[in-house]
Amino acid sequence: MELTAKNLQVRRGKKEIIKNASVFVRNRQFVGLIGPNGCGKSTLLKSIYKSLTPHGGTVFLNDLDVLKSTEKKVSQHLGVVGQFNEMSFDLTVEQMVLLGRTPHKKLLEPDQSDDYQIVEEALRRTRLTHYRTRSYLSLSGGEKQRVILARTIAQQPELMILDEPTNHLDIRYQFEILSCVKQLGISVLAALHDLELAVMYCDYIYAVKDGEIFAHGKPEEVLTPETVEALYQIKCRTYINPVTHRLGFAYGI
Amino acid sequence: MQRLESRGITGCFYYPIILLLLFLIAVSAVYSVSIGQVHIPFGQSMNILLHALTNGKLGSLHGIQESNSNIIFQIRMPRVIFALLIGMGLSLCGAVMQATVQNPLADPYIIGISSGASLGATIAILIGFGSFFANFGVAFGAFAGAAVTSAAVLLLSSIGGRATSVKLILSGVVIGAFCSSFSDLVIYFANNAEGVQQVAFWSMGSLAPSSWEKIPILAAVVLLGCVFFLFQHRVLNTMLLGDESAVTLGINLSIFRKIYMVLAALITGTMVAYAGTIGFVGLIVPHICRGLFGADHKRLIPATLLIGSLFMIWADILSRILIHNVDLPIGIITSVIGSPLFIYMIVKKGYKFGG
Repeated sequence: MELTAKNLQVRRGKKEIIKNASVFVRNRQFVGLIGPNGCGKSTLLKSIYKSLTPHGGTVFLNDLDVLKSTEKKVSQHLGVVGQFNEMSFDLTVEQMVLLGRTPHKKLLEPDQSDDYQIVEEALRRTRLTHYRTRSYLSLSGGEKQRVILARTIAQQPELMILDEPTNHLDIRYQFEILSCVKQLGISVLAALHDLELAVMYCDYIYAVKDGEIFAHGKPEEVLTPETVEALYQIKCRTYINPVTHRLGFAYGI
Repeated sequence: MQRLESRGITGCFYYPIILLLLFLIAVSAVYSVSIGQVHIPFGQSMNILLHALTNGKLGSLHGIQESNSNIIFQIRMPRVIFALLIGMGLSLCGAVMQATVQNPLADPYIIGISSGASLGATIAILIGFGSFFANFGVAFGAFAGAAVTSAAVLLLSSIGGRATSVKLILSGVVIGAFCSSFSDLVIYFANNAEGVQQVAFWSMGSLAPSSWEKIPILAAVVLLGCVFFLFQHRVLNTMLLGDESAVTLGINLSIFRKIYMVLAALITGTMVAYAGTIGFVGLIVPHICRGLFGADHKRLIPATLLIGSLFMIWADILSRILIHNVDLPIGIITSVIGSPLFIYMIVKKGYKFGG
C-alpha cells in the first residue's frame, strides 16, 4: 500500500505546527521520520491517521482519500502503534489484541474462529503467547508496547504508522519491536529518535524541523553531520561502524 | 503484589455463574413477596406465583387465602419488579458511564442528573407547575430536570471541539452545583414545612411509589436500554482505550460518547422520576462485577444487569425488615450496604478499581 500525504498544514491556535509537509511511502517501504522533540513529528503522523484534522493538504492510501473517508474504512488499511497506552480499566492481553479486529467487524458481528487465529498469530509474532491471560496493566512498559503491536498486527493493516515505538524501551525490546514490524513486509512510517536504529531499519528517511521537511532521502544521504547538527543543534561526526559496517554517529565532539 | 489474571476470579465458570444468578434472583423475588406486614409462607408464595405464571398448570392454590394472593399481586409484585428493573438500570448506566468517561468513579448521576432531577422535584413539590402538569407532578418535574441538566452538560462539554471525558465530568460537577444551589434557594424561601420534608424523603430514594401503572414505561425504557447496550460491547471495550486508540481502530468515540450519554441519561432520568435518586448501586455494582468477571464488556454487561437486580431486591428486602413495620427509604440501605463493600474492595489488594 502506498501513502501519499501532500502539502499538509496543521495549526493550533495561531501557531503553525506543520507547514506544508509532504511524505510518501511506497509499497513495502520502511520510512523513518526523524527530528528533535517538538518539531511536529507526532502532529504530522496524527494528521495522517485522522486523529487531527489538517487545515490543508491531502492524504491518500492508494486511491482512498483518508481525510474524506470514515475512521472505520481507514482503519481497515492503516494500523497505528502510538504513545498513548495507559488506560483506567484492565483487560487481558488476549482481549486487548482481539480489539485489533474491531475495524473488520460489523457492530453486532461476533468474533469468529478466524479472528482468534489471527490473534493467535499476532501473539506468536510478538512472542506473547504465554501472556494470553495476563492482565495488561500488570505488564512492564516493553511488554505493553508489544501488546499494542500485537493488536495492530491483528488489525492486518497494509500500512503501519509507529509513533516513537521504542520510547522508554531497553535495547533488546527496541530491536524486537522494529524487527517484528520489518518482518511483516508491509509499508511502514515510523517516527524514530535513535539515528542508528533509523539507519538499520529504514529504506528512506524524512528529517523534520520546525514543522517542515528539512531533508529527505536514503539514510546515508540524509544523515550527514551537517543535517544532524542542523536538526538537533549538537556537534556530530559520522563514521562507518567497523563491526556492523553501518553508519555510526559520534556526538558532542 | 501483581495480579496476573484479569479475567476475574471466575474465569471459565462464567455461564454457570450467570445461571446461578438467575436462580438466585427468582428465589429472592419469591422471598421478597412473602415478607411484610402479613407474612405469607415461602411455599405459598411460590405456589401462587407458579399458578399465575403457568396459567394454572403448575402450583396449587389449595388452602391459600385469596387475600394473600391479592397482597402479592396488588402490592408486593410491582415493588419487586421495580427493584429488579431499577437495580438493572442503575448498574447498567453505571457501567456505561464508567466506560464512557473512562473513569472508575463515574456513576449514573455523573452528568448532573441527580441534582437536576432534585431541582425539578423540588420545584414540583414546593412551587408546582400549575394545573396542566399537576397530574404528573413530581415524576414529571424530576424527569424534566434530569433531561434539561444532561442536555446542558452535553452541550457545555462539546463547546469548542470534542467532548472529552474530563470536560464531561467537570461540566457535570459545575451544572450539578448550579442546580443544587438553586434547589436550596427554593427550599430556603419555601414556607412549607411538609413540602420540605417531602423533598427530603424524595431525595433519599424509595420504591414505595411502585405500582402496576408505572411499570410499562419503566420496563420499556430499562429493558430496551439493556438490550441496546448488551450489543455494544465492542465499542464499550474500545472506549477503555481512550480517544486516540479508538480512532485508529475505526471508532470515533466522541459520537458514541454522546449517544451513550443521551441513552443513559434517559434511562436514569426515568428511574429517578419514579423512585428518586438511589445512590451507590450504579457505582459499586459494576466494580463488583469487574472484580468477578473482568472488564471485557461482553461478559461484564450481562453480569452487571443480574447482580444489579439481585443487589436491589435484597436492598429492598432489608429496607422492609430491618425495622419492624417501617419502610426505610431504599437509598439509605444501598449506601449502608454499599459503603462497607466498597471499603472492603479498597482494602483487598486483588481489585484495583481498573487501575
